[in-house]
This record gives sequence, structure tokens and C-alpha cells, in this order.
Amino acid sequence: MWTGMRGIATVPSYVIMQPTTLCNLDCTYCYLPQRAYDKKMTVDVARAVAETVNVWAAQTERFSVVWHGGEPLAAGADHLAALMAPFSGVEHHIQTNATLIDDEWCDFFEAYAIKVGVSIDGDEAATSARVDRGGGSAYQKIMKGIAALKRRGLPFAALCVVSDPRPGLAAEIYPFFRDLGCHSLGINVEEQEGVNARANAPDATATRRFWSELTAVWRADPAIELREIEWALWYAGATLAGTADDLLPRRIDPVPTIGHDGAVVLLSPELAGFADPHYGSFASGNVLHHGLAAIVAEAAARPSGWMAEFLDGVEACRSTCPYFGFCGGAHASNRYFEHGRFDGTETNHCRNSKINLLEGVLDYARSQ
Amino acid sequence: MPDLNDDSAELTERVREAAPGLIPLLAEAQATWRARGDADAPGWRAFEDAFPTFYQFTNRPR
Repeated sequence: MWTGMRGIATVPSYVIMQPTTLCNLDCTYCYLPQRAYDKKMTVDVARAVAETVNVWAAQTERFSVVWHGGEPLAAGADHLAALMAPFSGVEHHIQTNATLIDDEWCDFFEAYAIKVGVSIDGDEAATSARVDRGGGSAYQKIMKGIAALKRRGLPFAALCVVSDPRPGLAAEIYPFFRDLGCHSLGINVEEQEGVNARANAPDATATRRFWSELTAVWRADPAIELREIEWALWYAGATLAGTADDLLPRRIDPVPTIGHDGAVVLLSPELAGFADPHYGSFASGNVLHHGLAAIVAEAAARPSGWMAEFLDGVEACRSTCPYFGFCGGAHASNRYFEHGRFDGTETNHCRNSKINLLEGVLDYARSQ
Repeated sequence: MPDLNDDSAELTERVREAAPGLIPLLAEAQATWRARGDADAPGWRAFEDAFPTFYQFTNRPR
């Protein structure tokens, strides 16, 4: 029986901050419910989070504060700087659509040593889901922002959403990202979550072929850190070595996501801003009323409501799924938005991004 | 309900069956990881730099 991912840790490895709900884009697969509204986080919220985070950060080698959104740059540089000011001893990360990046933002990234991730799905055709509020392509603006990063020599990672994994796609997108100049690439197969109700259940064989072919193109030119393929290889190697059970974290990271208003959602950033008639609000508290450390400690010690049901779901995955050691259990948001509850097991996301990923890498290895 | 032990053993066996192709692929991957300064694994550090939200895999909650 797999031994990792038992219970919720009392200290996370990072927090996710929502400096604004607003996004200047309106991507067709986006899950964010309030992206049309500019609800900004107050400095009081950031200060309350920092009170706990600075203590956590002092206890560990590295602790990340991830500024997510909405589009974090839509908060404006002055406001973002004010929100970052209370933090000390942390690494700041920004995941951005890149459309607002210019030299002034590059100055900002340099000044705060921010690690930058951009969201782009490949060439203009592949990135067609990333559109502005008028439905126009955002591609040229994205590339202009990335050009600014490259001009200034700022390293960046890329996240690519794939809506239709299929044979042939890997050979199209990998060279694009190779030329783009990102140091790392993560592939997110589109997920049914939040306000994106599109079910994504692509053909399993086609999905396996996509991952298999991605393994092949990465092997031929491993210049980019390719998140999914490299993790699958690592897992396969550990399986051969008999050490696969050592890979998963011992406990589940609580992943605190702090909304613009100070509300804290644990375990699943995608649940922020949502409520359910049965479960109520998914928030575990608000940093303006309770310390973040106390909110996390309470959830870890006495998980209740949807989180208790989620932990039951993790145990169901552990006891029924042979891929648990690779995956760690279906994510809370995928369970909820696909099944309507948290104690189900296999999701489309499991199939698309875990099961068929590992099987695709094994398919490639067997073909050699 | 399928027997998990059988399914897990079957998956492990499939990995082992892939070993002839997997072992040289892993050797190349490890050389890539070493060249990046990640020791022998797609390091905690490398992926945390890029994807701190890849929490199932790359973080070490305490």
C-alpha cells in the first residue's frame, strides 16, 4: 500500500495570492468566475498573510508566494509592490498571460527577483483559445510580452493548455516552445472546472499517442525541462529501482489560496470564489479574522465538510487505483466539478494527465 | 471491484517489461538532469523554480 499523501500538512510549501480577480483576457477554457471584475486585494489582506508566511519561510530553505489571478499584472505595478512589501524571506512567482509585459514590468521582475511563468499554448493557431473580451486573438500581445522578457534576458517558464491531445500535436508544439526560449514547460490538458463546463474526455489512444510522441521529441532535444514527461520517467525509474513509494510527499500540501477579500481556500485553488448548496462556502476562514497558521492547523487537525470528504476520496484512490503512487489521488477540484462530490475516484483529469501520460511514456519505451 | 494488488502488480510488471527501452532512455534523462545541476532527478529545485503549483509532485510539505 502506498504510504504518501496521508492527511494534511500543517505547513505548506507555498501560498497562492489573488491580487485582483480581473483578467484582461477572456480565454474560452478559463475556470475563473469573476475575471470580468476588478476586485483588488487590500494591503491589509497581504499583511495578514505575511504575518504567518514570514514565520513559515524562516523555518524552511525556500517558500514561494505565487501571484495568480485573474491576471496579476492587471493589479498594476504599484499595487502589486504594496502587496509584496509585507513579505520577507520568500520567493515571489507570477503566472501571467504576458500581454501586459513591457520594459517597466521587466524592471519590476528584476527588482523583486520574481520567477515568471507565462501562459501560451503554441503558435497562433494553437493559442486560439486565448482571446480578449472582444474575441480577438491575444497571440501577438503575448508574443510581444515574451519578446520583452527575452530582450531583457529574463528566464521564464511556460504553461501550455492542450484541449485536444492527439497524434502529431507533440511534434507541432514542442519545437515552438524550444524556439520560444522558455526554460521549462508544463502541459495542462484542459480541465472541466470552475465556470468551464466543457467536459474533456478525449480518446484514450490518441491521448497516449500524444504523450508517447512528446517523449520522443523531448528525447531528441531535451533542452526544455518538460514537466510531465520527466516526472513520468522519474517514476518509471523509481519503479524499476523499487523505490517508487518514496516519491510522493508524506502529507498533502494544504495549498492555501488567499482570495482578493482574504478568504482562504485550502487544497484546491480552483474552488476559490465558489460555494455549493450542499457544502456551503469552500473557504476555511478569512485572514482578516483568523491567522492563516490557525486556519491551516485547524483543517489539518480536524478536517470537516468537503475536506473530510476529499480525504476519504484520497483513501479511496489509494485503495483502488494502481496509479496512486504516481498521482497521489485525484485533485479536489476535478472530483467536485466532474462528479459533484469529493469522495469519488478516477476523473477525466486522471485519465488525460496521469494514467495516459504514464502509459504513453511506457508505450514509447516499449517501441524502442 | 478490481483487486488493487493485481492491478498494481500488473502496472509494475508493465514498467519492467518496458525496461529494455526504458533503461537507456532513463540514462539519457539522468545525463540531462546532471547537466542541469539537478543531480540524478528532475530536481525538486528545478521544477519548484518553474512550477511551485505542481504540488502533487514537487513540494515537500512538512
